[in-house]
Amino acid sequence: MSQVFPKWANRIPAALVGVLVIVIAGGVGFFWYYGSPQYTDVGYRPSQPLPFSHKLHAGDLGMDCRYCHSQVEQSAHANIPAPATCMNCHSLILKESEKLLPIREAVATGKPLQWVRVHKLPDYAYFNHAAHLRAGVACVSCHGNIPEMDVVTQREPLSMSWCLDCHRNPTLNLRPLDQITNFKWQPPANMALLAQELKTTKKIAPPTDCSGCHR
Amino acid sequence: MSAARRTLLRAPLTMVEEQDSRFRGDEEGAFSALGTSHWRSLGQLAPTDESNSLLHREFPASEFADPMSRRSFLSLMGASLALATLAGCRRPVEKIVSYAKPSEEIVLGNPEQFATVACIAGSVTGVLVTAREGRPIKVEGNPYHPSSRGGTNSFLQASILGLYDPDRSKDILNRGVASDYESFLAFWRPLRDRHLAAGGVGLAVLSGDIVSPSLARLRREFGHTFPKARWVVYESVSDENIRAGIRAATGGDYHPVYAFDKAKVILSLDSDFLMTEADAVANARAFADGRRVTDGKSLMNRLYAVESNFTVTGANADHRLRLKCSRVSHFAAALGAELEKLGLNVPGSEAALGKVPAGAEKFLMALARDLYLHRGNCLVVAGRGQPAVVHTLVCAMNAALGNVGTTVGYLPATEPCSSLTELAALTGAMKSGQIETLFVLGGNPVYDAPADLNFSEAFSRVPNAVVLSLHNDETGRRSSWLINQAHFLESWGDARSADGTLALQQPLIEPLFGGHSDIELAGVVTTGLDRRGYELAQETWKEHLPPLDFEKHWRRVLHDGMLAGSAQPWQTPAVNGSGVASALANGLPKSDDWLEVVFRPSYAVGDGRYSNNGWLQELPDPMTKLTWDNAALISPKTAERLGRLETEEVIRLTADGRSVEAPAFILPGHADDTITLTLGYGREKLGGVADGAGFDAGAIRTTDRFFFAGGASALKTGKRRPLATSQNHHSMEGRPIVREGSLDQYQKNPDFAAEMVEQGPAPSLWKEHTYDEGNQWGMTIDLNTCTGCNACAIACQSENNIPIVGREQVRRGREMHWIRLDRYFTGDADNPQAVTQPVACQQCEMAPCEQVCPVAATSHDQEGLNVMTYNRCIGTRYCSNNCPYKVRRFNFFNYTNKLDELVQMAQNPDVTVRSRGVMEKCTYCVQRINRGKHNAKMEDRDVRDGEIVTACQAACPSGAIVFGNLNDPESRVSKLKKDHRRYDLLAELNTRPRTSYLAKIRNPNPELEEA
Repeated sequence: MSQVFPKWANRIPAALVGVLVIVIAGGVGFFWYYGSPQYTDVGYRPSQPLPFSHKLHAGDLGMDCRYCHSQVEQSAHANIPAPATCMNCHSLILKESEKLLPIREAVATGKPLQWVRVHKLPDYAYFNHAAHLRAGVACVSCHGNIPEMDVVTQREPLSMSWCLDCHRNPTLNLRPLDQITNFKWQPPANMALLAQELKTTKKIAPPTDCSGCHR
Repeated sequence: MSAARRTLLRAPLTMVEEQDSRFRGDEEGAFSALGTSHWRSLGQLAPTDESNSLLHREFPASEFADPMSRRSFLSLMGASLALATLAGCRRPVEKIVSYAKPSEEIVLGNPEQFATVACIAGSVTGVLVTAREGRPIKVEGNPYHPSSRGGTNSFLQASILGLYDPDRSKDILNRGVASDYESFLAFWRPLRDRHLAAGGVGLAVLSGDIVSPSLARLRREFGHTFPKARWVVYESVSDENIRAGIRAATGGDYHPVYAFDKAKVILSLDSDFLMTEADAVANARAFADGRRVTDGKSLMNRLYAVESNFTVTGANADHRLRLKCSRVSHFAAALGAELEKLGLNVPGSEAALGKVPAGAEKFLMALARDLYLHRGNCLVVAGRGQPAVVHTLVCAMNAALGNVGTTVGYLPATEPCSSLTELAALTGAMKSGQIETLFVLGGNPVYDAPADLNFSEAFSRVPNAVVLSLHNDETGRRSSWLINQAHFLESWGDARSADGTLALQQPLIEPLFGGHSDIELAGVVTTGLDRRGYELAQETWKEHLPPLDFEKHWRRVLHDGMLAGSAQPWQTPAVNGSGVASALANGLPKSDDWLEVVFRPSYAVGDGRYSNNGWLQELPDPMTKLTWDNAALISPKTAERLGRLETEEVIRLTADGRSVEAPAFILPGHADDTITLTLGYGREKLGGVADGAGFDAGAIRTTDRFFFAGGASALKTGKRRPLATSQNHHSMEGRPIVREGSLDQYQKNPDFAAEMVEQGPAPSLWKEHTYDEGNQWGMTIDLNTCTGCNACAIACQSENNIPIVGREQVRRGREMHWIRLDRYFTGDADNPQAVTQPVACQQCEMAPCEQVCPVAATSHDQEGLNVMTYNRCIGTRYCSNNCPYKVRRFNFFNYTNKLDELVQMAQNPDVTVRSRGVMEKCTYCVQRINRGKHNAKMEDRDVRDGEIVTACQAACPSGAIVFGNLNDPESRVSKLKKDHRRYDLLAELNTRPRTSYLAKIRNPNPELEEA
């Protein structure tokens, strides 16, 4: 009686296991890479209801971040400026610009503009801007080089492991308090020493416990 | 005696023996008073198989609320899978907006506090309200206001949810049809002119107790403008009897003010002064102050309670006498006579000498002697539910004991009190058609007026009935005009608290539905002018503030939440002996009828004004642990006499020819031959929460027998109503969880509580972590001052976004409260003592829950907190199984996704809202800790002691909870941890709880101590 299965059929189970391993590894690898905030979130660049350029305002004109995001040093949130803040200048400059029409409308109607949020942490993570600025973490550390962006783009993954990298070793991102909004700041030669000194004098001990950010 | 009865009696004795032998092992510290075995329910006292199996199950029900078929399960799963995949594809676009016009004060994300004042049924409490981005989310007590001194109660805590109640009346309704305020004004103004021309004939106003100076002013103006009109004051639970009693004794109109902190011996005659009497928050604080012990030399007050229902005050008493409500007056008279015999002058009481209610002789003698020995610093108080003659007697006794001016004072009552006679007269006039226009300023008389008045029918005969109400309630629905009322957090006003302190009520938010306040409507009635509450209050306050710099002073009052120094000096009116004698000669209430029905406001929903508040409905009653229902509370003996009545059996109660059906609840310690019914339930189409909860006890409440009715009868109906009581949930298996001793024992051996453990802590299996750096959070709860009032439970619910789960889920043991109040009885079933113990997560350093979590969702942080990471939790519930304290709560369903948008406004943005399948528990208010640490950091300093206050601690009216840094030897909590009374729950398990308890001390009279 001839054999029902040819001899090479013996290799099918082994091949199946091999394929399975590759599929699983591929699947894990796929989600590892394509599912991570590094891939999904970095580079997020939504268009805004108004072609506001940070490059123009914060870069070319050299306005301080805190002119508009005025409560960032007092609160967990970096506030979006009210339309009235825009009108401080734009009631004199580009009074009749078509691009600024939504702002003038907002002032007139009392209905604020709806901006699209770029940097977003999950709702269960409680980030505090004021605490980070107070410690000497600069805007650039998390937001990238905003003064060079026409349209704000997310540059960092804002993932938990990314947060923890800095919380475990904050010295790389510390600087003197008067330099936190300076995007062109160059660390001095003795930066490592300076950062260490900042860390000890200001008792900087970023939490790495769950309760530091989650409640 | 039946067999069942005998086992009931025998059971406690055997339990006592068991426990005693367990503790007798201790050598010198042997604590003999451990004859107290603690039990929570009759089922536990005399266990059956069924009650045992319920007791031992973690969650006594299966996972699905309703039977679910395979098909519906699959379709649900399929749908949710499909949704999950679709939703995962795209990053949701989130919009951010700025303020259109930024406010100078609001910093987005930072809370603000404003001082205001809350008036609830004549009780005024100063509060601080926290607002987030202009949205009030939390109520705290105002530490500077004498009526609060930082404390609150469950009603005040829950008023936040009341503000965002989706069932509030939202529109102005003209006979059920939506209208507007202008139309109402257009309707009223010509009518007003007609009434004005007639001098006010046919016009009447019905209001609640008047504590607002503005409302008082408008009432006076109303009297001048409409001399022939009536203004009737009515509250369904009021101080009417107290005022009448004092009037009979002194000849003047006064209301009493107490200094419980100065009294060494306190007698409560059916007075639940810690909970339901006027000014209860201040009473609780003062009572606790007189009871705090710090070392063996501390003195503490002694509380005697004579009452029919087992109240919270009774549970805190050192000696409690169960007495039928009608016999309390006889007891008071006999006590007066006894004091007279001891050489004091209590006029007219001679006749009562020796006429002591049976069984109370020994109690009365010892009490009389104790009061006599503490002349000048004792205090006798009587409850609102007692007839005027008792209050007359109390007034005379306090005067005879020399207490007036030290522990009790009187303030002139300038405003009329609630009056049943006037309400009856008004109802009569309404029936006969004499009342053409009736304004109801904020009450609900159709629901809560005495049943015999038939107010509903009379109300229907009033052609123009204008009702101001928060809800489209029983009265509102029958009105011709329903004006939606503004919540106290939405309106301007003012109030004078019990001690006379004046305060302003300021709104935290624009009226959500454009409502109007009582003073605004009163202004329209009186003057016809539509003026805002702000203007009306300012006009009134011209009397109280200097005209120079008025605005500055006004702002000062707004800021402080009170007018400093406006408390009125106590008066000491002389007692008119003949007045007392004649009041007594008129006779005491009859008390021969065997069955008596007593009416009391509910601890949960008051007299009904909180019926639609889910937090309060689900809050277990401090004594019965009932939720979502009221019941007929009966003593075990009376239940036996009524044909072996069982809890949940529905009985038909008849009094005065009226009857009501009510489920029975057997409450150990309730007076025999008495049935207590709580008011505020059985609402009719009020809202999603209130409907279907309980029965309306008011149906058999009549004018003559407003607080208790003799000659009642009770018959079984054969029906049953399942009740949701949490008294057996989260059992801790009879271990010495709650520890108490007498003052004498404490003085002899201050360490008695620590010595009550079965064995020392077990040795640890692994190297323990030392927590000796930075902040190490800890808490102490003083059981001696904890009254069991439940304020902490609601404060926690409000602070931590804890969902309500509904009656069915509570029956399954799935209530979500992070802090629960365990109530234990000690002694025999007929006359037990009771003690309450708040239990939240103990924040163990060696937490058993952490060791069994497969995904490390619960872990420890460096400051000693046992933290819960919701996003990691996969819902195995192993942690809850392994928790010896039973403090972990599981979200069996997604309780929050269907929350009304309005209710969502009550939620704290600092706390994550949990979803289905997630375990949660007390966090020591980690959001408050983080904010405190952040604030300190911003000022480059360490956290100060007392800067971080947990929600439960902040709410506690008696200051029983203290939280702080254990690593700071100077912190209050560190010092309290060294107190001799300190013990840790189940310390023998080596869990190392961060929460410690301070044992309860009772101060019994040696004369009454059982041999």
